[in-house]
Amino acid sequence: MQIELHNVHKTYEGAQPLHVLKGIDLSIEKGEFVSIMGASGSGKSTLLNILGILDSYDEGEYIIDGRLIKGLSERQAAGYRNRTIGFIFQSFNLISFKTAVENVELPLFYQGVNRRRRHELAMEYLDRLGLKDWAGHYPNEMSGGQKQRVAIARALITHPQIILADEPTGALDSKTSVEVMELLGQLNREEGVTIIVVTHESGVANCTNRIIHIKDGIIGEIEENREHKASAFGTTTVMK
Amino acid sequence: MHDLFTEVWESVRRNKLRTCLTGFAVAWGIFMIIVLLGAGNGLMGAFNQSSGEFASNSMMIGGGSTSKPYKGLKEGRRIRLVTSDMDLMKKEPFSENIDQVTTSHSQSGYTLTYGKTHLNNVSLNGTYPGYADMNRIVMLAGRFINEKDIQDKRKVIVLGHLTAKNLLKGGTDYGRLLGEQVKVGPFAFKVIGVRRAEENRDDRDLNVPYSTIKTIFGLDNHIDDITFTFHGLPTEEANEAFEKELKAAVNTAHDAAPDDASATWVWNRFTQNLQMEKGSKILHTALWIIGLFTLLGGIVGVSNIMLITVKERTHEFGIRKAIGAKPWNIMKLIVAESITITAFFGYIGMVAGMLACFLMDKTLGQSSMEVFGESIRLLVNPTVGIDVAIEATLVLIIAGTLAGLAPARKAAKVRPIEALRDE
Repeated sequence: MQIELHNVHKTYEGAQPLHVLKGIDLSIEKGEFVSIMGASGSGKSTLLNILGILDSYDEGEYIIDGRLIKGLSERQAAGYRNRTIGFIFQSFNLISFKTAVENVELPLFYQGVNRRRRHELAMEYLDRLGLKDWAGHYPNEMSGGQKQRVAIARALITHPQIILADEPTGALDSKTSVEVMELLGQLNREEGVTIIVVTHESGVANCTNRIIHIKDGIIGEIEENREHKASAFGTTTVMK
Repeated sequence: MHDLFTEVWESVRRNKLRTCLTGFAVAWGIFMIIVLLGAGNGLMGAFNQSSGEFASNSMMIGGGSTSKPYKGLKEGRRIRLVTSDMDLMKKEPFSENIDQVTTSHSQSGYTLTYGKTHLNNVSLNGTYPGYADMNRIVMLAGRFINEKDIQDKRKVIVLGHLTAKNLLKGGTDYGRLLGEQVKVGPFAFKVIGVRRAEENRDDRDLNVPYSTIKTIFGLDNHIDDITFTFHGLPTEEANEAFEKELKAAVNTAHDAAPDDASATWVWNRFTQNLQMEKGSKILHTALWIIGLFTLLGGIVGVSNIMLITVKERTHEFGIRKAIGAKPWNIMKLIVAESITITAFFGYIGMVAGMLACFLMDKTLGQSSMEVFGESIRLLVNPTVGIDVAIEATLVLIIAGTLAGLAPARKAAKVRPIEALRDE
């Protein structure tokens, strides 16, 4: 068992305290390809933040590979994010003044890998994602699909155990969305990386093997989806 | 290091105009520091030059008039030093500190004649061998007056090199004059040496043995003043105590009250130098402070611009943190950028300041003012040395760090969830 959450609570303090997560219990096995689905305001983004160690939680336990992730210093959290987790964001979050290859190199830079080595590795990953010729281009010179593939290369380069994708297709057209989801599925099958996709689109969720529904801060239904019954970007459910 | 500077360059390049505008204030601050210190150095250089011709460890003592009655003698009596006062200084307890004792006497308004050359308005300056040390005489040919000249009342003379040059009709082989006879007024002297001299200052003072001039002019035992060099009085207090003791001894010899302050006067070049050094330090510090305050404006500007940069790059820092940047990695970026801007423009200011000092040296530094017939240079070498350049570099690095610190802390505190926020 790779990821475990026990009774995780999170409240945003403020004039009107907001109890967002109300006791999340969840376990995700190594090598799974799951999606967390929920409407906006359901707490799925907060859950993602906690899973990605971007934010802290108030109560309960979050365990990765038997290690409790709680009360970490900023330094330790940065280390975990760097080595264990790869992020893929809706708006790609590439650094605009760096070229594709420099963006892919960045996580290795924070690991202290030397310049030549990390350039080699970054080129290798870009090649795998079919972007070798785009290595020297800046993000604003690329299409959405290309940018997301650069972001995926950046997420993969540190060999993370977990990839967290936050609405990875949110900014892409449906054709590119299918490509990106197929790419993630392929990575999951071939490399055995655990992939957690957070989405509100059922079509996207349908590409994954297990769909975890979250509603009002608690886990609802958990669907096994081995057969991917609904056609991609489903016909029966709400789509973009 | 390479990576850090690549990052800094990328950031600076994106904001050229505002970086330059901010940098200008820093450059101006450093420029002011350099120019102020250069001018200060020039001013102190000019002071030192006018006092630099004397041995710094010398004192001059002379007679005044009594301010109180003593031994039945009325106050207001004039005290004139005599040659035996010089012997007083060669005896215990003063001989412990005093090295050479001299006096001098000048008679002016003579004409110097050598062959067919005449030079008007020279003066005969009767003195002792010690005069050479006390006045830092540099001999260009021959020798200065010695004890034997004094004893034998020889008619020998030492010329200033400009006078010598005149006598040689522009020639500089001063050795040719040695052994030659010159006439000063009606008196003939043999040239024994040529010393370096300065125009309008001491060039026309021709040195002859004191005993010779005394005989020629039939002087009595009275002398104007006594100058002596000393050693072993390191502090101002020690000097004061010594002066007091000396004055008491001389006063007593002239039947004045030992504690009568105005019966004799002492001019101590050593303590005067100490005070001047103190003054020079104060001036130096004051100039630094003024310069630093000017620089402060620039630093605040850099700090301000860095804060704006941090605000603009919040999302980017969020991304960096999400993919594993530690707070220190982010802080380093901002501090390095701040130091780079400060140091780069600071150096431009420093070079400009040094150029300005150079120009100041070539213009103001060469001009001089006539004061009581003596020419005084306004500024002597108004430049700054390598030490100031190193100090200024340190100041820049410290200033850059300080300017970057607050913004960098702000940047380091950016939360990684900023990355998830849409731009």
